[in-house]
Amino acid sequence: MADAVIVVALLLVVAAATAAVTTRDPVRQALVLAVLGVVLAVLFTVLQAPDVGLSQLAVGSALTPLLLMLTVRKVRRRGRGKERER
Amino acid sequence: MNGWTLAATVGLAGGLGTALWGVATGPLRRRVVAQNLSTALACPSLLLLSQAYNRPSYVDLGLVLALLGPVGTLVFARLLADELAEDPPRTWAATWAVAGLGAAAVIALCVATGPGRAMVKLLVIGALLIIGNIVASRALSGGFRGVRGG
Repeated sequence: MADAVIVVALLLVVAAATAAVTTRDPVRQALVLAVLGVVLAVLFTVLQAPDVGLSQLAVGSALTPLLLMLTVRKVRRRGRGKERER
Repeated sequence: MNGWTLAATVGLAGGLGTALWGVATGPLRRRVVAQNLSTALACPSLLLLSQAYNRPSYVDLGLVLALLGPVGTLVFARLLADELAEDPPRTWAATWAVAGLGAAAVIALCVATGPGRAMVKLLVIGALLIIGNIVASRALSGGFRGVRGG
Protein backbone atom coordinates (compact mmCIF):
# COMPACT_ATOMS: atom_id res chain seq x y z
CA MET A 1 0.00 0.00 0.00
CA ALA A 2 2.92 2.38 0.62
CA ASP A 3 3.65 2.19 -3.11
CA ALA A 4 0.44 4.12 -3.86
CA VAL A 5 2.16 7.47 -3.42
CA ILE A 6 4.96 6.40 -5.80
CA VAL A 7 2.38 5.32 -8.38
CA VAL A 8 0.54 8.65 -8.03
CA ALA A 9 3.78 10.61 -8.44
CA LEU A 10 4.78 8.54 -11.50
CA LEU A 11 1.36 9.05 -13.11
CA LEU A 12 1.57 12.81 -12.47
CA VAL A 13 5.04 12.94 -14.09
CA VAL A 14 3.77 11.00 -17.13
CA ALA A 15 0.75 13.30 -17.49
CA ALA A 16 2.80 16.49 -17.03
CA ALA A 17 5.50 15.41 -19.50
CA THR A 18 2.89 14.43 -22.10
CA ALA A 19 1.12 17.77 -21.63
CA ALA A 20 4.44 19.61 -22.03
CA VAL A 21 5.13 17.80 -25.31
CA THR A 22 1.65 18.29 -26.79
CA THR A 23 1.49 22.03 -25.97
CA ARG A 24 2.57 24.01 -29.03
CA ASP A 25 2.90 27.61 -27.81
CA PRO A 26 6.32 28.13 -26.08
CA VAL A 27 4.85 30.41 -23.40
CA ARG A 28 2.25 27.85 -22.34
CA GLN A 29 4.89 25.13 -22.61
CA ALA A 30 7.01 27.04 -20.08
CA LEU A 31 4.05 27.03 -17.67
CA VAL A 32 3.60 23.26 -18.04
CA LEU A 33 7.37 22.78 -17.63
CA ALA A 34 7.29 24.65 -14.32
CA VAL A 35 4.62 22.25 -13.03
CA LEU A 36 6.62 19.31 -14.41
CA GLY A 37 9.64 20.48 -12.38
CA VAL A 38 7.61 20.47 -9.16
CA VAL A 39 6.08 17.06 -9.90
CA LEU A 40 9.52 15.59 -10.65
CA ALA A 41 10.80 16.92 -7.32
CA VAL A 42 7.89 15.17 -5.58
CA LEU A 43 8.74 11.93 -7.43
CA PHE A 44 12.39 12.13 -6.31
CA THR A 45 11.22 12.71 -2.74
CA VAL A 46 8.92 9.70 -2.64
CA LEU A 47 11.77 7.62 -4.11
CA GLN A 48 13.84 8.72 -1.06
CA ALA A 49 16.22 11.02 -2.95
CA PRO A 50 15.50 14.42 -1.35
CA ASP A 51 18.90 15.87 -2.34
CA VAL A 52 18.11 15.34 -6.02
CA GLY A 53 14.65 16.73 -5.34
CA LEU A 54 16.12 19.92 -3.85
CA SER A 55 18.25 20.68 -6.90
CA GLN A 56 15.35 19.75 -9.19
CA LEU A 57 13.12 22.22 -7.33
CA ALA A 58 15.66 25.03 -7.67
CA VAL A 59 16.22 24.38 -11.37
CA GLY A 60 12.76 23.26 -12.44
CA SER A 61 10.43 25.65 -10.66
CA ALA A 62 12.23 28.95 -11.21
CA LEU A 63 15.32 28.76 -13.43
CA THR A 64 14.05 26.84 -16.49
CA PRO A 65 10.88 28.95 -16.86
CA LEU A 66 12.92 32.15 -16.47
CA LEU A 67 15.38 31.13 -19.22
CA LEU A 68 12.56 30.02 -21.53
CA MET A 69 10.52 33.18 -21.02
CA LEU A 70 13.54 35.44 -21.55
CA THR A 71 14.35 33.57 -24.77
CA VAL A 72 10.77 33.86 -26.07
CA ARG A 73 10.77 37.56 -25.29
CA LYS A 74 14.05 38.17 -27.09
CA VAL A 75 13.00 36.18 -30.17
CA ARG A 76 9.69 38.06 -30.39
CA ARG A 77 11.39 41.43 -30.08
CA ARG A 78 13.86 40.54 -32.82
CA GLY A 79 10.98 39.43 -35.07
CA ARG A 80 9.17 42.70 -34.48
CA GLY A 81 12.35 44.70 -35.21
CA LYS A 82 12.84 42.92 -38.55
CA GLU A 83 9.25 43.58 -39.57
CA ARG A 84 9.76 47.25 -38.84
CA GLU A 85 12.89 47.32 -41.07
CA ARG A 86 10.87 46.06 -44.02
CA MET B 1 0.60 3.05 5.05
CA ASN B 2 -0.22 5.54 7.80
CA GLY B 3 -2.57 8.49 7.82
CA TRP B 4 0.15 11.01 6.84
CA THR B 5 1.03 9.05 3.70
CA LEU B 6 -2.66 8.77 2.85
CA ALA B 7 -3.17 12.52 3.31
CA ALA B 8 -0.12 13.30 1.17
CA THR B 9 -1.27 10.86 -1.55
CA VAL B 10 -4.76 12.35 -1.65
CA GLY B 11 -3.30 15.87 -1.71
CA LEU B 12 -0.93 15.00 -4.54
CA ALA B 13 -3.49 13.14 -6.65
CA GLY B 14 -6.32 15.62 -6.15
CA GLY B 15 -4.42 18.89 -5.89
CA LEU B 16 -1.59 18.45 -8.37
CA GLY B 17 -3.87 16.51 -10.73
CA THR B 18 -6.30 19.42 -10.84
CA ALA B 19 -3.47 21.94 -11.21
CA LEU B 20 -2.00 19.89 -14.05
CA TRP B 21 -5.32 19.78 -15.86
CA GLY B 22 -5.71 23.54 -15.36
CA VAL B 23 -2.24 24.31 -16.67
CA ALA B 24 -2.57 22.07 -19.74
CA THR B 25 -5.93 23.35 -21.01
CA GLY B 26 -7.89 26.57 -21.23
CA PRO B 27 -6.97 30.24 -21.66
CA LEU B 28 -3.65 31.74 -20.54
CA ARG B 29 -5.14 33.43 -17.46
CA ARG B 30 -6.29 30.07 -16.06
CA ARG B 31 -2.94 28.47 -16.82
CA VAL B 32 -0.91 30.99 -14.81
CA VAL B 33 -3.26 30.61 -11.84
CA ALA B 34 -2.96 26.82 -12.00
CA GLN B 35 0.84 27.08 -12.15
CA ASN B 36 0.81 29.28 -9.05
CA LEU B 37 -1.48 26.90 -7.16
CA SER B 38 0.55 23.81 -8.14
CA THR B 39 3.50 25.00 -6.02
CA ALA B 40 1.16 25.98 -3.16
CA LEU B 41 -0.40 22.51 -3.23
CA ALA B 42 2.86 20.56 -3.56
CA CYS B 43 4.43 22.23 -0.51
CA PRO B 44 1.94 20.89 2.13
CA SER B 45 2.17 17.45 0.50
CA LEU B 46 5.96 17.49 0.86
CA LEU B 47 5.62 18.47 4.53
CA LEU B 48 3.12 15.64 5.08
CA LEU B 49 5.52 13.20 3.37
CA SER B 50 8.35 14.27 5.67
CA GLN B 51 6.13 13.41 8.64
CA ALA B 52 5.03 10.16 6.96
CA TYR B 53 8.62 8.98 6.43
CA ASN B 54 9.52 10.24 9.93
CA ARG B 55 12.47 12.22 8.54
CA PRO B 56 12.48 15.84 9.75
CA SER B 57 15.23 16.80 7.26
CA TYR B 58 12.75 16.35 4.37
CA VAL B 59 11.05 19.54 5.63
CA ASP B 60 13.79 21.47 3.80
CA LEU B 61 12.14 20.54 0.50
CA GLY B 62 8.96 22.28 1.61
CA LEU B 63 10.97 25.31 2.72
CA VAL B 64 12.74 25.60 -0.65
CA LEU B 65 9.45 25.17 -2.53
CA ALA B 66 7.70 27.78 -0.37
CA LEU B 67 10.53 30.21 -1.21
CA LEU B 68 11.02 29.43 -4.91
CA GLY B 69 7.44 28.71 -6.01
CA PRO B 70 6.25 32.33 -5.75
CA VAL B 71 9.51 33.45 -7.40
CA GLY B 72 8.68 31.29 -10.43
CA THR B 73 5.16 32.70 -10.57
CA LEU B 74 6.50 36.27 -10.31
CA VAL B 75 8.71 35.52 -13.34
CA PHE B 76 5.59 34.69 -15.34
CA ALA B 77 3.66 37.65 -13.92
CA ARG B 78 6.48 39.99 -14.94
CA LEU B 79 7.16 38.62 -18.42
CA LEU B 80 3.51 38.00 -19.35
CA ALA B 81 2.31 41.35 -17.96
CA ASP B 82 1.07 42.61 -21.34
CA GLU B 83 -0.96 39.48 -22.16
CA LEU B 84 -2.41 39.29 -18.64
CA ALA B 85 -3.32 42.99 -18.56
CA GLU B 86 -5.78 42.47 -21.46
CA ASP B 87 -7.46 39.53 -19.71
CA PRO B 88 -6.69 39.69 -15.96
CA PRO B 89 -7.05 36.39 -14.05
CA ARG B 90 -9.48 36.09 -11.16
CA THR B 91 -7.50 34.34 -8.48
CA TRP B 92 -8.90 35.08 -5.06
CA ALA B 93 -11.27 32.18 -4.36
CA ALA B 94 -8.73 29.53 -5.42
CA THR B 95 -5.88 31.31 -3.62
CA TRP B 96 -7.69 31.44 -0.28
CA ALA B 97 -8.90 27.85 -0.59
CA VAL B 98 -5.35 26.59 -1.18
CA ALA B 99 -3.96 28.85 1.57
CA GLY B 100 -6.53 27.34 3.95
CA LEU B 101 -5.49 23.82 2.96
CA GLY B 102 -1.82 24.67 3.54
CA ALA B 103 -2.62 26.23 6.92
CA ALA B 104 -4.64 23.15 7.95
CA ALA B 105 -1.77 20.81 6.98
CA VAL B 106 0.80 22.95 8.84
CA ILE B 107 -1.38 23.11 11.99
CA ALA B 108 -1.92 19.34 11.96
CA LEU B 109 1.85 18.80 11.61
CA CYS B 110 2.56 21.26 14.43
CA VAL B 111 0.19 19.34 16.71
CA ALA B 112 1.98 16.10 15.77
CA THR B 113 5.52 17.44 16.32
CA GLY B 114 4.82 19.27 19.57
CA PRO B 115 6.57 22.44 20.74
CA GLY B 116 10.21 23.01 19.86
CA ARG B 117 12.47 24.14 17.04
CA ALA B 118 10.83 21.81 14.51
CA MET B 119 7.46 23.45 15.16
CA VAL B 120 8.91 26.94 14.71
CA LYS B 121 10.39 25.84 11.39
CA LEU B 122 7.02 24.45 10.28
CA LEU B 123 5.26 27.68 11.23
CA VAL B 124 7.86 29.72 9.31
CA ILE B 125 7.32 27.53 6.24
CA GLY B 126 3.54 27.91 6.53
CA ALA B 127 3.80 31.69 6.82
CA LEU B 128 6.20 31.88 3.85
CA LEU B 129 3.88 29.66 1.81
CA ILE B 130 0.75 31.70 2.44
CA ILE B 131 2.42 35.12 2.10
CA GLY B 132 4.25 34.11 -1.08
CA ASN B 133 1.06 32.67 -2.55
CA ILE B 134 -0.92 35.85 -1.84
CA VAL B 135 1.82 38.10 -3.23
CA ALA B 136 2.07 35.98 -6.39
CA SER B 137 -1.72 35.99 -6.87
CA ARG B 138 -1.83 39.75 -6.44
CA ALA B 139 0.95 40.15 -9.01
CA LEU B 140 -0.90 37.89 -11.47
CA SER B 141 -4.16 39.81 -11.18
CA GLY B 142 -2.32 43.06 -11.83
CA GLY B 143 -2.00 44.40 -8.30
CA PHE B 144 1.48 45.81 -8.88
CA ARG B 145 0.91 47.88 -12.02
CA GLY B 146 3.50 50.40 -10.86
CA VAL B 147 6.44 48.08 -11.55
CA ARG B 148 5.58 47.28 -15.16
CA GLY B 149 7.69 48.14 -18.19
CA GLY B 150 11.35 47.55 -19.04
